[in-house]
Amino acid sequence: MIEIKNLHKNFGRIKAIKNINLSLKQGEIITLLGPNGAGKTTFMRLLTGFIFPDSGEIKILNQNIEHNRIEALSHIGYVPENSPLYGDMTVFEYLKFIAKLHHLNDSVFIERCQNIIKTFSLSEVINQKIETLSKGFRHRVAISAALLSKPKILILDEPTEGLDPNQKHELREFIKTYGKNNLVIVSTHIMEEVEALSTRVILINKGKIIKDTTTDELKALSPSGSIDEAFRNITSNRSHQ
Amino acid sequence: MIYQTFTIFQKELSGYFKTPLAYFLISAYILISMFSTFYLGAFFVLNNTELFSFFFFQNDIFALLIPALTMRLWAEERRSGTMELLLTQPISYTSVVLGKFFSAWIFCFMLLCTTIPFWIFINIIYQLDNINILSSYIGCFLISGVFCAIGCCISAFNKGLVVAYICTLFLSLIISTVNFDFLIGQFNLSDDVSIRIIQSLNFSKHYNDMTGGQVGFDNIIYYFSMIALPLWLNILTIEYKKN
Repeated sequence: MIEIKNLHKNFGRIKAIKNINLSLKQGEIITLLGPNGAGKTTFMRLLTGFIFPDSGEIKILNQNIEHNRIEALSHIGYVPENSPLYGDMTVFEYLKFIAKLHHLNDSVFIERCQNIIKTFSLSEVINQKIETLSKGFRHRVAISAALLSKPKILILDEPTEGLDPNQKHELREFIKTYGKNNLVIVSTHIMEEVEALSTRVILINKGKIIKDTTTDELKALSPSGSIDEAFRNITSNRSHQ
Repeated sequence: MIYQTFTIFQKELSGYFKTPLAYFLISAYILISMFSTFYLGAFFVLNNTELFSFFFFQNDIFALLIPALTMRLWAEERRSGTMELLLTQPISYTSVVLGKFFSAWIFCFMLLCTTIPFWIFINIIYQLDNINILSSYIGCFLISGVFCAIGCCISAFNKGLVVAYICTLFLSLIISTVNFDFLIGQFNLSDDVSIRIIQSLNFSKHYNDMTGGQVGFDNIIYYFSMIALPLWLNILTIEYKKN
């Protein structure tokens, strides 16, 4: 679904992404794991065409993100870090706005909106202004909007940040279900999340992929069998090198 | 593309009325316009069959108020992080830029419409040259479009609202007041074509033509070019910032 070749991105003299090559397939739930400043958000911004690479290419369902940006983005649902939303809109107005940008007609929108309201329990806040919502609800609204177009690729940047344990559990269950037939990419630095979700773990540090593996293989890399320890071993080794 | 431009336009225009900004601007526009018409413009002293006292100050009033309208268009998106959300939707940058621009321009149209009762009222008292006044209204609408386009473009460069306001105000005033006639003397131009080209660059010349009742194809082309250039720069700015 996503093919990435020789991806490089610099910000001035800082090399944010260095030579990334990846092939991401349908049915995978991929967690991008890495310390703060590793390049996870930059990588996601490159995948969603928010920024363009200095060299290399990204193909989303055979569409080059730079040359066919609109076509490529029609397959992607993206929730950026901290779920930015238009606070002056009500939840319904916001969902309608996103639906219009995706050319969904009214009947399709209403049908999908009803499903989403049910799935994410938004009925009590549907006519409420977004700026008055709690962080948990804001997250749900952001994810709901990303799902309106039924994207084949769902990209979530630190989706459980600030959620309570119940909300985290619900969201993870949803991601697992959605990931069965689609591609889900989740950026996180929470190990518990990696274990709960991933079918594939990609470890990024200093803009490079340092491990592309499964949760079990990652666990096997530490004597105690913990992902947390394996992560610390790998990233600290790399930073010493 | 038109549908998505309209979607952005609707969102932005309704956004103005969700904050006190729209109501403040409408009130400020009416107050300043009426003050400048009757007090500064000596409305009852001058011959006002073309509402000269009213249209004389519109250029400056728009230069003062439009930056407040456009400063938030991109700066707010940048500040709140919604720019990432908006630009990762399957829409062209042209649609986003045009949607934002038209929302500001149509708001200016609404501002102008608030003065129509004044026009009607004065019509009852005096014998007015209504064709001329209509031409002046079109001129006002076009100059507001130029200032809106400049404001959109400046807002795309800046994160801060105040900086965006000051830069737009400054640039709008320069563009509306600069007179290129000095170039004629500077380069000792004597042929008619060169002089006409130089004079046609003056913003005020086109506005004066329109308040004088000449809508003219050349005036419309001039204003639309002045609108298109900042909008094109706005699109380029967004693309540049991606790289």
